[in-house]
Amino acid sequence: MSELATEFHEPLLNVLRCVADDKLFLGHRNSDWTGIAPILEADIAFSSLAQDDIAHASAFYELMNTISGEDPDQIAFGRAANAYRCADIVTKSDDFNWANAIARQFYCNLYDYHRLLRLSNCTWSPLATLAKRICAEQAVHVDHVGTWITHLGNGNNDSKHRLQTALDAYAPYAAMLSEKPEGFDTLLEGGVFTDEGCLFTQWKEHVDTVLDSVGMKVTLETPSGLGGRMGSHDEDFLRSLTELQEVFSTDPLAAW
Amino acid sequence: MVAKVDIYSVLQTIPDPEMPISITDLGLIESVNITDTKVHVELLPTFIGCFALPAIAEEIRQKVSGIEGVEIVKVELINDPPWSTDRITDAGRASLAEHGISVPDGSSPCCSASATEQVEFRTSAIPCPWCNSRETTLTSPFGPTRCKTIHFCNACRQPFERMKKL
Repeated sequence: MSELATEFHEPLLNVLRCVADDKLFLGHRNSDWTGIAPILEADIAFSSLAQDDIAHASAFYELMNTISGEDPDQIAFGRAANAYRCADIVTKSDDFNWANAIARQFYCNLYDYHRLLRLSNCTWSPLATLAKRICAEQAVHVDHVGTWITHLGNGNNDSKHRLQTALDAYAPYAAMLSEKPEGFDTLLEGGVFTDEGCLFTQWKEHVDTVLDSVGMKVTLETPSGLGGRMGSHDEDFLRSLTELQEVFSTDPLAAW
Repeated sequence: MVAKVDIYSVLQTIPDPEMPISITDLGLIESVNITDTKVHVELLPTFIGCFALPAIAEEIRQKVSGIEGVEIVKVELINDPPWSTDRITDAGRASLAEHGISVPDGSSPCCSASATEQVEFRTSAIPCPWCNSRETTLTSPFGPTRCKTIHFCNACRQPFERMKKL
């Protein structure tokens, strides 16, 4: 269907907020590595990943605009902290530690990929078309981060230890990716999405498979409470948001 | 009356800012519609939100407005149908090959449950655009632009780029 019934507008906007905000902030954090990643190819890759993610976020904000009429830049940069719906792993500081950056990327990229697959099956065709298209780009992210997991996991004791420490440290925040967006059940009941089983489980299986291939494992538990998806954020998020909004809050009409 | 063929010949002269090829050969134009003095161009992004799009759209507006009889030019960005590497014309492929950029052929992938199955540069031997050897290795899945990967040919010892298969 190409028309979305009014009752689904707010619930779907909320789902799109979660998806787009995750990508916007992850892209923003990844851009920190431009110019300083450990090797040239990694530098180019993280800059491209950042561009991809921010472009994907932008496409989702534009899609939101077709539902709500709200200006995409205003949605991206003009909200109060508690109106953002990203999971806080995307803004978790990596302290410029490469293992942290890879761990964060690993959890987020795989989760995004499986979430995009589901969005591709949305019965509202504009979202399905966009998600399917982005999914093909996301597959490259999944592939790339898998290469790094293999590289570090099969490296020496030091690289393995650093990666394991990072994976363990980020695991509780990673699990928060799967907090259910408000209104999602309304969309399921209304047939906008079909029930494809537990996304957390599907994501966890993928994480386990990749880590198993390098003899590593991590404990991921279903999130106990609601944080970012309900607008409750931590200090790292607030720091990222202040930085992200710096130009916009100085001059909302600034253009490149 | 403005003729569609005139619009296309002007579009044919507009190069992609990141690729040695025109936007028509790259397959970015989905449609051109003319109503009296008004021209409506539908433009597809290669990659979602490609940063070259505003520049391309602006150049289309400028060049097409210069055609006699045209008063209003509207450039609309659309995502449906999605752009794919299949849309690149034979002339475009030849031009890209001359610049050492290889282009996938065949049908486009779409989402499946297994991520690795879809990434073409892992599943096929990529031919070198310089010497056609398949003895090539992937240097990086990310290149100078979002739509390209970087490879190295072990036969002729040259680096080359390849458009990501979409």
